[in-house]
Amino acid sequence: MNRLQTSLGKLQLSNPITVASGTFGTEYGSFYDLNSLGAYVSKTITLHPKPGNPPPRLYETEAGLINSIGLQNPGLDIFCSQYLPKLSSSLSIPIIVSFSGSTIEEFAFILERLESVEGNIAYEVNISCPNVENEGIAFGVDAQTVRKLTERLALLTNRELIIKLSPNVSDIVSIAKAAVDGGADSLALINTLYGMAIDYKSGKSKIKRGIGGYSGKAIKPVALALTYKVASAINIPILAMGGIYNWMDALEFFYAGASAVAIGTGNFVNPTAARDTLIGLEDYMTERNLTLKDVIGKVEF
Amino acid sequence: MYQEDNPMKSIDLPVVKAESLNQDYFILWVQEQSLAAQTKAGQFFQLKVPDSQSLYKPISVYDVDKAFIGFFVKKLGKGTNALSQLRRGDLLSLIGPLGTEFPIQSKKKVVLISGGVGYPPMWYLRKQLAKQNDVYWLHGGNSKQDVFPCDEIWTVDGSLGSKGFVTQGLEAILKFNSFDVIYACGPEPMLKAVYQLANEYKVKLYVSMEAYMACGIGVCHGCVVPTGSSENIEYKKVCDDGAVFDANDICWSAL
Repeated sequence: MNRLQTSLGKLQLSNPITVASGTFGTEYGSFYDLNSLGAYVSKTITLHPKPGNPPPRLYETEAGLINSIGLQNPGLDIFCSQYLPKLSSSLSIPIIVSFSGSTIEEFAFILERLESVEGNIAYEVNISCPNVENEGIAFGVDAQTVRKLTERLALLTNRELIIKLSPNVSDIVSIAKAAVDGGADSLALINTLYGMAIDYKSGKSKIKRGIGGYSGKAIKPVALALTYKVASAINIPILAMGGIYNWMDALEFFYAGASAVAIGTGNFVNPTAARDTLIGLEDYMTERNLTLKDVIGKVEF
Repeated sequence: MYQEDNPMKSIDLPVVKAESLNQDYFILWVQEQSLAAQTKAGQFFQLKVPDSQSLYKPISVYDVDKAFIGFFVKKLGKGTNALSQLRRGDLLSLIGPLGTEFPIQSKKKVVLISGGVGYPPMWYLRKQLAKQNDVYWLHGGNSKQDVFPCDEIWTVDGSLGSKGFVTQGLEAILKFNSFDVIYACGPEPMLKAVYQLANEYKVKLYVSMEAYMACGIGVCHGCVVPTGSSENIEYKKVCDDGAVFDANDICWSAL
């Protein structure tokens, strides 16, 4: 009996532990077997290669991490010709490809190109990166746009379509509903919060571009609240993330309504965090004779 | 099953010796035969106190002696302060060895130049070079707290050695001697000045770059430095494209 079996819409997962886009790579295969994960999530791909933002790009705060990577990536062509085939041939778990664009047509173009690649592939549409001008968050803050974009993409694929939402909006539920109305199969949340750090001695920003994306332990209560809020308002599955470092953090998100979770910054704190989370969760469920379904959305007050 | 061919390790090892040098600097030693055997000059490890909820800190290798690996650390913030509390027998979490190594020369006239916390990797490098090369090492720091044994010491406040920037010392020796290679590690302004001098006197230069890191293993793209030309910058990762770079690859005007 697999107590941790779960699904994100059409996507069946043998367990609910995945990784947050941009915080993971096959390098972690040095530390444990990546096929033990529920799914692999790629770094966000854009149509053209992106050089990324000028450094410094990172700053660790008291309880989290500010980043300003700026979606540095080799672009769609190289991803499809070099990276994706290598991932597909070496991984037996679903591969969730994260991508972003600067127009609805560009998103559609990228998805159509990815459709031509065979494999157990799902899509995570990144409309919530705070570190780039035209892609990312520009799309994720307006419900109308989210609906139009999701509709366009849903028509082009039968694969799992996950829309990744930003916490940097006044009403995340309206954005979530727009994605559901547009035909999303599931939602991923949250992307990073806006964050900034300044050296009080010199007055200088710790991040070259000023504002970055804030992740890690510090944002867990925010992520948990938004997961609960969205899960209560919609009826498609949620892939939740934000400050999950261990199996206890993960359990909180399942109680809040998540069907699967992703480890992000936690991978940097502990390179085996995702595997350790999975083992901890299995042990806990076995000890209590529970399955994941007994827990999802069952928060009590 | 998918695992990388050449696995990196994360490992907890007991500190076999903890030396406090002064209020800012300390050295931690661990003992592990196979790690020591594969650790090259210029490489670094990700270090942290086990079970801490903070990121690892990238610390360059100060010395390798038989099965012992030494890390020479400056207290710069929360992570390095926590490391400074470790005592003999306490566990240290490590990932590594990581990054590129300094190319080792033979029968060359070599200058090492370091500034501040750029000192440690030069110690191990000098050991590797000294057998087959003629090596001269200049080191500079803000004050006498920041300088350690080498051939020529500079301090900004004049509290030990010559008063001024260590790059003044480099200029003086380049003016009157010919050298084949310079290796440099230190703060960006120092490295920029070294690059200009190396260019002027046409000496090959390798630099070890410093950067804030998160993963340390090439995943997060957080620790980049600009390479290429200012019109066409390519950001390369200090953690796995470096930390040692050929100075001609760095786009110094973008730093």
